[in-house]
Amino acid sequence: MVEFRLPMLPQPGEVVWSVKINGIDVKLNIESNAILLDVLRDQAGSLGTKRGCDMGTCGCCSVLVDGEPRLSCLTLAAELNGHEITTVEGLANGHHLHPIQKTFTEFGGSQCGFCTPGFLVVSSALLSENNDPTDEEIKTAIEGNLCRCTGFQQIVDSIRAASDIIKENNSIEDSTSAKSNPHPGFMEGG
Amino acid sequence: MSKDKDSKEIQGYRQQPGKLPFSKPGSGGKNSFSKPIDLENIPVSQNGRKDQPWGPHRHDSLISGQVIGRPTALVDSAWKVTGQAQYGDDIRLPNELIGRIVRSPYHYAKILSIDCSDALNLPGVVAVATGIDAKNKFGVLPVTKDEHAMAVDKVRHAGDLIACIAAENENIAREAERLIKIEYEILESIHDIEDGLEDSEYPIHDRGQYHIGNSNIQKRVFQEFGDISSLEKNTVASHRSNWTFAGVNHGFTEPHAVVANWSPDGRLTLYTPQQVPHYVHRSLADVLEIPMHQINVHRTFVGGGFGGKSDPFPHEMCAAILARKSGRPVRITFDREEVFWVNRGRHPSKIEMNLHADSEGRICGIETDALIDGGGFASFGHVTTYYNGVLHTAPYEIGSFHYTGARVWTNKPASGAMRGHGAVNSRCAVEVGLDDLAEKLEVDPITLRLANLLPPHSATITGFRVTSIGMRECLERVKKESGWSEKFRKMPLGKGIGVGCGFFISGSGLPIHWDPNKFPHATVHLKIDMDGGVTIHTGAAEIGQGSDTVVSQSVAEVLGLPLDMIRIRSRESDTSPVDLGSYSSRVTFMNANAAISAAMKIRDELIKAASDITGASLNSLIVGDRRIFDKNDPAIGVSYLEALHKSQEEKGALISSGAYRTPPMGKTHKGAAAGLAPAYSFSAYVAEVSVDIETGKTTVDKVWAAHDCGKALNPLAVKGQIIGSCHMGLGQVLSEEMRYGRSGHLMNPDFLDYKIPSIHEMPEVIPIIVESNDPEGPFGAKEAGEGPLLPILPAVCNAVYDAIGVRTEELPITSEKVFKLVEKKCRLQGISNPLDLKSPRLEFSDLQNTLDKRAQLHSKRDIERRLNSNREEYYNGAIFGLEPTKSPEEIDDNWSVRVIPEENYLLSPRLAGSAWKHIERRNMGD
Repeated sequence: MVEFRLPMLPQPGEVVWSVKINGIDVKLNIESNAILLDVLRDQAGSLGTKRGCDMGTCGCCSVLVDGEPRLSCLTLAAELNGHEITTVEGLANGHHLHPIQKTFTEFGGSQCGFCTPGFLVVSSALLSENNDPTDEEIKTAIEGNLCRCTGFQQIVDSIRAASDIIKENNSIEDSTSAKSNPHPGFMEGG
Repeated sequence: MSKDKDSKEIQGYRQQPGKLPFSKPGSGGKNSFSKPIDLENIPVSQNGRKDQPWGPHRHDSLISGQVIGRPTALVDSAWKVTGQAQYGDDIRLPNELIGRIVRSPYHYAKILSIDCSDALNLPGVVAVATGIDAKNKFGVLPVTKDEHAMAVDKVRHAGDLIACIAAENENIAREAERLIKIEYEILESIHDIEDGLEDSEYPIHDRGQYHIGNSNIQKRVFQEFGDISSLEKNTVASHRSNWTFAGVNHGFTEPHAVVANWSPDGRLTLYTPQQVPHYVHRSLADVLEIPMHQINVHRTFVGGGFGGKSDPFPHEMCAAILARKSGRPVRITFDREEVFWVNRGRHPSKIEMNLHADSEGRICGIETDALIDGGGFASFGHVTTYYNGVLHTAPYEIGSFHYTGARVWTNKPASGAMRGHGAVNSRCAVEVGLDDLAEKLEVDPITLRLANLLPPHSATITGFRVTSIGMRECLERVKKESGWSEKFRKMPLGKGIGVGCGFFISGSGLPIHWDPNKFPHATVHLKIDMDGGVTIHTGAAEIGQGSDTVVSQSVAEVLGLPLDMIRIRSRESDTSPVDLGSYSSRVTFMNANAAISAAMKIRDELIKAASDITGASLNSLIVGDRRIFDKNDPAIGVSYLEALHKSQEEKGALISSGAYRTPPMGKTHKGAAAGLAPAYSFSAYVAEVSVDIETGKTTVDKVWAAHDCGKALNPLAVKGQIIGSCHMGLGQVLSEEMRYGRSGHLMNPDFLDYKIPSIHEMPEVIPIIVESNDPEGPFGAKEAGEGPLLPILPAVCNAVYDAIGVRTEELPITSEKVFKLVEKKCRLQGISNPLDLKSPRLEFSDLQNTLDKRAQLHSKRDIERRLNSNREEYYNGAIFGLEPTKSPEEIDDNWSVRVIPEENYLLSPRLAGSAWKHIERRNMGD
């Protein structure tokens, strides 16, 4: 057997990383060569940002940097000092879902859900720029994202439906509002 | 009436009724009225307006109009869209270690020694384990346990596990990986599937007395049914083809990940994205040598399975072993390349397909020979070997069936179960063959199919019991909606249309791990306490297909409750009843049936309570939206909560358990259980393609996809499965391929080179749901998860032929292959410019009319059969003039049933058939 061993790589230096993640100022010590995806998942607690391939082929790790979609697995974290990062956790307003989150559930845009965060951040960027995208524009926006479950059709449906909600400025119900009454026909206090 | 009764009973220290200043307990919000019953959703048999072309169903009286049949968002989707869903790698326990796996760089080698001392001395390394730490074998099937947590004596493919390391972080673990010194003795590896049939100096496994010769044959199957002797005499047209199918990977987006944690009480919790947590549970007990009750298998969210997460995996054992050694939680996450090393994807296959038709346009013979490449381990291989044959014995009535199949070990990552398990490749070969037969008989391929379908409530040639069959309607719908008659063989060069069909099992009739007479296939527990919410405990694995949703829907429907009152706990083996997991498209059929049976028990109790309160008779009470009332006078009734509290008076929380077991079915020959299912789904697709005749590039433009799923409990999910299946099938037919280099190395273990269709390759798919109301299925439902994948491959292949007149016998149909086929055709016809080629045309022969008439006659027969509850038996063979009510082997001397080849077969066996040349070791006589 051929013996070859690379020497252990030198330890990377540490840098102070200060960014805004989902609207909150974050200051972390990170390794100078750290990848954004690793920092988000392992240090910043954004486990919603998914790791699918580590080489930019699946789009599961997509996040928004200053509103622009970026593949976090191909982004050097240190480059983003001072920038604003939005992950899937930052799309909803408290318990009010973003329209795209609501329509992904209602139109079957999400099956296993692993690729969903990537699709959501990318399509939310599209919709914030263009609230009436054509099918071609939708397809172009999500072409870097891979979904193995849905066959994409229901994802496009979801994005189209979300654009309708945004256009009509319809509000989305707080998920904590009261659900079904098990005792119908009897008024409160009755 | 009820008040008087109450005031008599409630005495003493109890608060008097009517004096409570507060509302009824637990009533919550202000939405006070229940919905009126929606007659559109109530079946005709219950005086509603919902059409039932297949007649009434045994579950009709349970329809409360709540959720069944309505497009329903998955109950766990809110977690997924907010990023809160925890998949394997999202389980982060305090003080965790990171595990890494050391993998073999060689295809096949003996391990002479492993030295871990340097790795263990590296600061930050906490534990290292190798094969000697866990010598017990495990595997999916009890008869083929051939895997170890880590290699014990030899490695069987590049990427096979040798050791594993737990360290403080990933960098240290990776460095330790390089410090482990392993001495190998390299053995001659085999990569060609045909080499596996030959005797070898070092067979990849040793199956002891069951080993077949000295070969690498893992499993061989011989099956001969029907009137083989008259085949030659009756045949007027034949199709012969030799297919090569590349292996494909599931390509789920979530790489495998596992977390193992031993709690202070000595119990193991394994967090894993598994389709079949129960197999892991069993395997862990075997490997770790602890009883099963000491293990809690926690299924995390599963980021796509498609069969690829249904084996118990060695890395799951590794995590448990490392966690045991280190005393800390261990998390192992794969990178994408490792996913390909584990594989379990569709088998690379060589399939020889001969089809024969007689002068009446009947399929008088199917002769299949399938050699499939199992890679390094058995996995589900026994079953796959059968499925390649038996899963194309329907939906057509056939005169004879001859199948030889063999699965061999090679030094590749193991193949296993993948969506459409074992049926996809051979189905493609059959359906393309039928297209060719139609061409030879000069008839329309759809008419040919329609004139040869099995009727409802019949038996296939191998003895599978077919109940509902919506195949005819599927074909008719896609024919009409695609405008088939105006397009077929009439489109310009480069444009084509093609049809394909398929059928698939709806749950396996035989559970892998136990005798179905001893345990049910599925069990569901329910618990309802005074808050009124219903807790479902089931072990059915939600893998994104909507299993949690469909079980919740079933319970909600029977109890008349909105879905938000149902909560489902399906994750942990500690709390859920044993379930066989999500494979063979069994969950909707079996778990929804079990859920219905559990919910019916609660429903009975609620109705009894309502009767006690109102005085109405039990028979007159029905369940509506959160209310139980008299169907003759809806004003008489109680709320769900009142009935619940009444029935809780004596015993507290209501609990119930429901189970489902398949009825006894099928025949008794060896292998008769493989492919046996309580019901089968059917589908027919038409695909329209464009082929660039100069470059060979195939583009699928549109697909009409009709699927008979029995009843669509959740049409949103069914459509999602149909479109998703199309996408996955299109990948296999157009671009996906696990490519192995000349030295046997996997060349594309990543998503850059393994080409899954992107959104731009995805055509418009028109999903068409056909409902056949299966008598055995829950509310009439059958499967929708795997069957819809089958027809897309042949539909595209047939459309390519319609477009340019060349047939491929190799998948995927890449541009290069089409280009070469076109080039060859041009050369043969002496044409220099491929644009001068003629696209195929077809003038129908007289047989077309005969077939048309037969199809119409059969259509009437089918409707009569499905609506008549006193129908007679119908055995395959009747179309050939045999008495339909008697099993042909009993009445026809020419009818053979054989599962072991005769000696003269071995004089000139086919490719996979040659596996029978070897003698099993136990029969060698020494």
